[in-house]
Amino acid sequence: MKNNLRALREDRGWTQGALADQLGVSRQTVNALETGRYDPALPLAFRIARLFAQPIESIFTPEDSNLHP
Amino acid sequence: MTNKLDSSDRSEGDRARSRAYQLEFWPGILAYAVVLTGVLLWGDLEGDSPLRFLWAVLPVIPALWIVRAVLRHVGRIDDYQRVLLLQALGGGFAVAMIASVTMAFLEIAGLTVPGVGWIIYSAGMLGWIITGAVVGRQ
Repeated sequence: MKNNLRALREDRGWTQGALADQLGVSRQTVNALETGRYDPALPLAFRIARLFAQPIESIFTPEDSNLHP
Repeated sequence: MTNKLDSSDRSEGDRARSRAYQLEFWPGILAYAVVLTGVLLWGDLEGDSPLRFLWAVLPVIPALWIVRAVLRHVGRIDDYQRVLLLQALGGGFAVAMIASVTMAFLEIAGLTVPGVGWIIYSAGMLGWIITGAVVGRQ
C-alpha cells in the first residue's frame, strides 16, 4: 500500500515523533508507515484520516497486487 | 531522503510508555534477584530437607510480577510494535525449541550436559534479543 503520509506530515512541519504522539503510536511505527513497511489496521487508518481531515483513500493508495485475491 | 523533521529521537509517548514499563519491570527484576540470592544462601537446594522444593520454586513469585509487567507493556504498545515483539519472541521460541531438542538427542546419545535448563534458557533469551534487534532495524 502506498501513502502520502510523509508529505502530509512535512506540509504541517511535524516531526515523526509529533505525528506519533497525535496518533498514539510510536515514532518507529510512523517511520514504518511512511516507508511502506507497515499497512495500518483500520482504526489507525481512520485516526490518520481524521487528523489530516482527508478521506482514507486520498492518503492510502492500494497497489495492483492488493486489488486482486 | 531525510530532513530535520525525520529525527530518530523517541517521541514523548514512546518515552512515557518506556518509563511506565521500566517502573513496573525493574522492581520485579530486583525482587527476583533478592529472592534468588535468598534461595542460594539459605535454600540448601542440595540438602535433604523437604522444604528445599519450596525454596526452589520461590523465585516464581517475583517472576510472575515480571510477566505482569511485560503483559501490561504489550497492552500499551501499538499494533506494529506488537508485530515486532511477536517476531522477536518467535525467534527466541524457535531457538529455545531447537536447543531443547538438540540437548534431548545428545542425552539419548549418552552425553549428559550439566545445567541443561540454563543452556536452553540462555539460547532462548539470546534468540529473542538477536531477533528483536534484527527486526527492529528493518
